Amino acid sequence: MKDVLTSVGIDIGTTTSQVVFSHITIEDLSSGFTVPRVEIVDKEIVYRGDICFTPLTSPTTIDAVALRDLVTRAYDQAGVAPGEVKTGAVVITGETARKENAAEVLAHLSDLAGDFVVATAGPTLESVIAGRGAGADAASKRLGSTVANYDIGGGTSNFALFDRGAPASAGCLDIGGRLVRIDRARGAITYVAPKIARLCNDAGIRCAVGDVADLARLRRVARAMCDLLEMSLGLAPKSAFYPTILTEPGHDVMLPKPIGHLMFSGGVADCVRDASREPFAYGDLGVLLGAAIRDSAGLSRIPRLDAAETIRATVVGAGTHITELSGSTIEYDASLLPIKNVPILKLSRDEEADPAAMGTSIRDRLGWFAADGPAAPVAIAFAGPASPTFARVQELARVIVEAMAPRVAEGAPVIVVTESDLAKVLGQSLRAHLGARHGFICIDGIAVEGGDYVDIGAPAAAGVVLPVVVKTLAFR
Amino acid sequence: MNEDDIARLVREVLADITARNAVPADAASPGEGDEAPDVTAVTTRDEFHVPHPANREGYLAMKQSTVARLGVWRAGPRYNTYSMLHFRADHATAQDAVFTDVDPGWVTGQGFIAGQSLCHSKDEFLTRPDLGRKLNDETRDLFRRELTRSTVTIMVGDGLSSSAMVNVPEILPAVKQGLQGFGIEAGPVAYVKYCRVGAMDDVGQLIGSDVVLLLIGERPGLATGESMSAYMAYQPRPDRPESWRTVVSNIYRGGTPPAEAGAHIATLLKRMLDEKISGVDLKL
Amino acid sequence: MKLKTTLLGKTYAFRDIKDVLAKANEVKSGDQLAGIAAETAQERVAAKVVLADLLVGDVRNAPVVPYEDDEVTRIIQDDVNERIYDSIKNMTMAELREYILDDATTTNDVRRLSRGLTSEVVAGVAKLMSNLDLMLGAKKCVVQAHCNTTIGGEGVFGTRLQPNHPTDDPDGVLAEVMEGLAYGVGDAVIGLNPVEDSVANTTRILDLFADFQDTWNVPTQCCVLAHVTTQMAAIEAGARSDLIFQSIAGSQLGNEAFAVTGRVLQDARDLMASRGGSTGPNVMYFETGQGSELSSNAHHGADQVTMEARCYGFAKRFQPFLVNTVVGFIGPEYLYDSTQVTRAGLEDHFMGKLTGVPMGCDACYTNHTKADQNDIENLAVLLVASGCNYVMGVPHGDDIMLMYQCTGYHEAESLRALFGKTAIPEFEKWMVDMELITPERKLTDRFGDASIFLTERQGAR
Repeated sequence: MKDVLTSVGIDIGTTTSQVVFSHITIEDLSSGFTVPRVEIVDKEIVYRGDICFTPLTSPTTIDAVALRDLVTRAYDQAGVAPGEVKTGAVVITGETARKENAAEVLAHLSDLAGDFVVATAGPTLESVIAGRGAGADAASKRLGSTVANYDIGGGTSNFALFDRGAPASAGCLDIGGRLVRIDRARGAITYVAPKIARLCNDAGIRCAVGDVADLARLRRVARAMCDLLEMSLGLAPKSAFYPTILTEPGHDVMLPKPIGHLMFSGGVADCVRDASREPFAYGDLGVLLGAAIRDSAGLSRIPRLDAAETIRATVVGAGTHITELSGSTIEYDASLLPIKNVPILKLSRDEEADPAAMGTSIRDRLGWFAADGPAAPVAIAFAGPASPTFARVQELARVIVEAMAPRVAEGAPVIVVTESDLAKVLGQSLRAHLGARHGFICIDGIAVEGGDYVDIGAPAAAGVVLPVVVKTLAFR
Repeated sequence: MNEDDIARLVREVLADITARNAVPADAASPGEGDEAPDVTAVTTRDEFHVPHPANREGYLAMKQSTVARLGVWRAGPRYNTYSMLHFRADHATAQDAVFTDVDPGWVTGQGFIAGQSLCHSKDEFLTRPDLGRKLNDETRDLFRRELTRSTVTIMVGDGLSSSAMVNVPEILPAVKQGLQGFGIEAGPVAYVKYCRVGAMDDVGQLIGSDVVLLLIGERPGLATGESMSAYMAYQPRPDRPESWRTVVSNIYRGGTPPAEAGAHIATLLKRMLDEKISGVDLKL
Repeated sequence: MKLKTTLLGKTYAFRDIKDVLAKANEVKSGDQLAGIAAETAQERVAAKVVLADLLVGDVRNAPVVPYEDDEVTRIIQDDVNERIYDSIKNMTMAELREYILDDATTTNDVRRLSRGLTSEVVAGVAKLMSNLDLMLGAKKCVVQAHCNTTIGGEGVFGTRLQPNHPTDDPDGVLAEVMEGLAYGVGDAVIGLNPVEDSVANTTRILDLFADFQDTWNVPTQCCVLAHVTTQMAAIEAGARSDLIFQSIAGSQLGNEAFAVTGRVLQDARDLMASRGGSTGPNVMYFETGQGSELSSNAHHGADQVTMEARCYGFAKRFQPFLVNTVVGFIGPEYLYDSTQVTRAGLEDHFMGKLTGVPMGCDACYTNHTKADQNDIENLAVLLVASGCNYVMGVPHGDDIMLMYQCTGYHEAESLRALFGKTAIPEFEKWMVDMELITPERKLTDRFGDASIFLTERQGAR
């Protein structure tokens, strides 16, 4: 038994925008003599759109209409109807994301992207997506160690660290090739991003709009940007300016473990590898930034790996690596699906072990989500005991249903997400407690943390599994 | 390596084993207390003896992907003493699961209606699978009297593992809860000693229930002495092909959790009743 | 033709040659289950006496399944070299046994002889041999084969790396491959028994093997032991396999139970010639085991040793690289205890080699058989002493998917050390290059450390 999910990735970057379509093949890998076990067996990119310049109406505003045309063309060229798309993500990265019309852009795309496409929410998730697209997760798994990826694009540098396949930390710096722009014909600087202007000012490098594009001077700017990358990885002491460059104030790059190998993706990564490009080939600082990274003694202290994707890492990550599958023995009401942006109420191991504490925690923390209304979905998540007794499952069901009672009365669905394989029996127990008519979703095989959001897709593989996207906003 | 080095190594290794055991260190340390270490306290996923691996963390992570005995290291080309003893303990567990009888007190305590196949002894059971597939006359009479015809008849059999019976009290209530959710009640539970899978066909013919579920001990692998299989069939009869059976195997705490398996089994039984088929024709 | 003898005053008469062959067998619970075994120890010996006195020609002319009814019989009979057969057909079976064991009979003599034998004759000789006879006889039959490397050379002892996993999880499989290679296992083949017999799964594992093999330049052959047609579909779709595997039986009916025919195997071989990943010419891999015909009711009233010999006669047609008997897997209803398992292992290895196929053995036991790891270590020692081409290697002897125990990774170097043997030469060199062993065959600190593969390989690909 096999199913193919069509997935879309749309990356709207500071400089360029891209669309990919993938086929995610899922298949029951069980022998037929055990419980089913549906897994992702293949991910194939079936369409790679052209790398286009992101259409802008002004240096700070995305042309939403033109962008929609660009994406529509990709659908047409790929021969994909919006309704076919079952999963995927739209990512608005870099400087662009903070532009005032990002929400408008997403609204323009939402009908195109199908009913289960995630609009990403922030640099942390984007960093992880880019790292996956670059293949850092796979490399760290293969090597049994840590692999970090820096996705350096036009507006931002997204860092993600993977430890044996799993994301371990992420961060983002406002460093990118497009933050200084040069008119090649006139040989003059036409744009300097505010933070870079401050960086230059602090470093005593003259770099302002209208200045002559002096190669030696701009090399110093690129070098100063590269220094900040080194600082973020602990390769150099952090300067007083350093906190300013963080995309999210106070959200520094954390290294819970030393970096075993480092890779670079993003458009600038191509300029790191290829030393033959004209300094101002792209009318920006990208080539010089790439050269600065290539020549950095600090960065070369970490063993380097080549990324599987460079400029396309984010779009490939969004299009092929964002979707997980639930376990294959689960219970749910299909009428609730798909369901998006469900906040996670995560219980600790200690809390789940103690029925009284578990009930109290659920009741207390449900208050945090009160602003969304009493019937808004919240997912109760816990790791769950391995191979629990039937009595233990009954107790879990009872505690959850009792603690959720006020919301259940308001018509809120009961949504439970666990890691351990128990969702079928827990789901049937929930049904026994809730009564046959109240809607619920009980899935396992999914690891989440408090603060995450989940999107749960429509049933796949004849209803055996549900596609799930976990949206991590921050690492703890 | 001099004598001191060896002594230090031995201490380290023993300390390492002790540290990973659930028993308090003072009770398990050799030379202290009166107990040698429990070699089965650590799972094969976590047992690790390689002294200076090229990549320790990677090795340990890699071990999590399999229960195969990896990272066991060696004494010359031979096995490390503790991994060898762990293996032997696991084999003992498997052999005991096969060659030990289920406690008759447990069977009655569960309220099962207890019968026996045509086999008279464990040895006959192991060498004559044909006899294990048929109920003896006394059992036929008993089952005919006590097992009323019902939508679902549930059977339990020792099969090749007596130890697998530990799963039964977790599987059964989950099956029953699931069936109740579908509005289906199961009748009393039959137990067959020296039971092979084919015995369910005999019961199916005898009682005439719509579906029969047999929970039976599997042939144990190493340290999977508790593994149980659930065989199900719509109107089983001795002349039906093997492919008419639906099976869910590998049910135990280290495989598919018994309670979770019970919930899945209930769904399968419902599907069989709805579609009036079982086995390979019953698509997922 | 004499089918009667008197032993200690009692006369024993046998129905036909099939009956003689069955009753001449050493005790096997499977023959008892089939109801064809000798009823007493004396009757067994009487049958051996009658068998010893039969002519080779008598036994050839009484195949246990008729030529007209059975493809396996036809293949065996048609492949006999009639000139060689003519030169031996008037020997008694006793004389044949003594000819094989004779000092003056060389390896070349036995290889030539084997082309004139049918499987019933091969089985008949085995029934007249003690365990040590079987070992000496087998050692004389050197059978080499070449796929990517050469197996079966003198002084060489190979192992199959069997990285089975209960869910075919690629990470788990790869971990087991790394560990096995670190123990010098896998020179014969790296071969997985898949849980899921599908093209997608077979392809996935073949890709995994090919990728790893290329990265680390491992000189061996890889294969996934799915059904032959599954492997063919995967190969046709582009997967790279060095060998095609299939379980086979000693009768057409038995092969039908495995959904295989001679035609299918020939097609598979042809496919490997055009699409296979290996050098060849030997690209087939077969597994057998006493009792499988009875278990599918395809034994035609013949004993399990004779049916097993017929597997080898059938296999020879397809010039395999590997044949092995999975000797203790089937359970106590066919091989009751370690004595029977040991005997069967030695019989099968001898019969395979005498037939002329490159024979290995999965020396194993299930947990419902009265046997343990000591028994299987004993059998492995006897097999290597007999010149067996290869045995299995699984982590610590514990196959977590097939739920049985066989020879472990650690046995490979233990047995090589005990008998002064090496791995297959190309693989042996790789072990030295990987610094697993020194050129003098001393084990290094890296030997047994799978995490040496958790690094970037310099200069790979």
